[in-house]
Amino acid sequence: MPTQLLFTQFLNAHFASPVTALLRAVHVHPTYPNTPITNAFAMELLVFLFLIAYFLVVRVTLSVEKPAAAQHLAEMTHEFVSEQGESIIGHGSERFTSYLTALFLFILLSNLMGLVPGLESPTANSVVPLGFALVTFVYYHYHGVRSNGGAYVKQFLGPVWWLSWLLFPIEVISHCARVLSLTVRLYANMFAGDLVTLAFFSLVPIGIPLVFLGLHLGVAVVQAYVFFLLAAIYLSLAVAHDH
Amino acid sequence: MKKLQYLFMSLAAMLLASPAFAQGGEVANQWVPLAAGLGMALAAGLCGLGQGKATASATEALARNPGARPGIFIFLILGLAFIESLALFTFVIIFLKVK
Repeated sequence: MPTQLLFTQFLNAHFASPVTALLRAVHVHPTYPNTPITNAFAMELLVFLFLIAYFLVVRVTLSVEKPAAAQHLAEMTHEFVSEQGESIIGHGSERFTSYLTALFLFILLSNLMGLVPGLESPTANSVVPLGFALVTFVYYHYHGVRSNGGAYVKQFLGPVWWLSWLLFPIEVISHCARVLSLTVRLYANMFAGDLVTLAFFSLVPIGIPLVFLGLHLGVAVVQAYVFFLLAAIYLSLAVAHDH
Repeated sequence: MKKLQYLFMSLAAMLLASPAFAQGGEVANQWVPLAAGLGMALAAGLCGLGQGKATASATEALARNPGARPGIFIFLILGLAFIESLALFTFVIIFLKVK
């Protein structure tokens, strides 16, 4: 029986049997049928609910004359993301702003969650970053095909046709390695951050671990930014036209 | 003098090594923490060297041309992330292999 956070316990107490039934229906057998909901999933759900509530609040209190605090925050986020998108992707980046904003905010909140007592980072579980990476992978390939059509294949074939048989497998592997590196970077950073704090907590239980919590705060923000930046760069490479 | 030093160093290494050869497979795991520590130390040290080089060049470029700040910043963060991920790969491998 894995240790459960308060919110996970609450979810498992109320939704354990339908979730287990649902998992059985798709031929997945959870290790613990009484508690099929993991901490990572519960925390993700929490982030999801929080973000939905935030967006709803922003949408409801939208006003031109008297912008509220939430609207200022949303405008700052939007300005940041669209500025970055404009400088990386260039013309036509408005189409991707919504996805990039959602990705950035979700990862940022998930990372920062580990700093709150009673919660933990869902990104410190390797499955969650893998999900982000796979969604990004599918998304940029979809937009690559959408904006370049059949000519998107040319990006995989290299500059000269007689080397394409060699370059095609290399390019395919490098695209798959992007998923791996995105996953491992986010997961290992968050996991190592938690572990370092824990290690120093076991050495000195007072004061010193706070320094590493501060370091973890910085790492959390930077890693969210790096994930967002790499997603934007992959998008820009995929939608680029050869002239 | 130098040769003697090498001789004693290799002798010391062999003295350390011989019990391990004698005992065989049952204590093969005794080297795992050592290997994990050394591997992580190597990865961290070399990653630190690489990141130091990257940061030094970035600050130099920034001092020469402060106007290029946004472009340099993006490339610096990207480069640091890529260098750092190498050390993190080591960390993950160690974490997977050490039980």
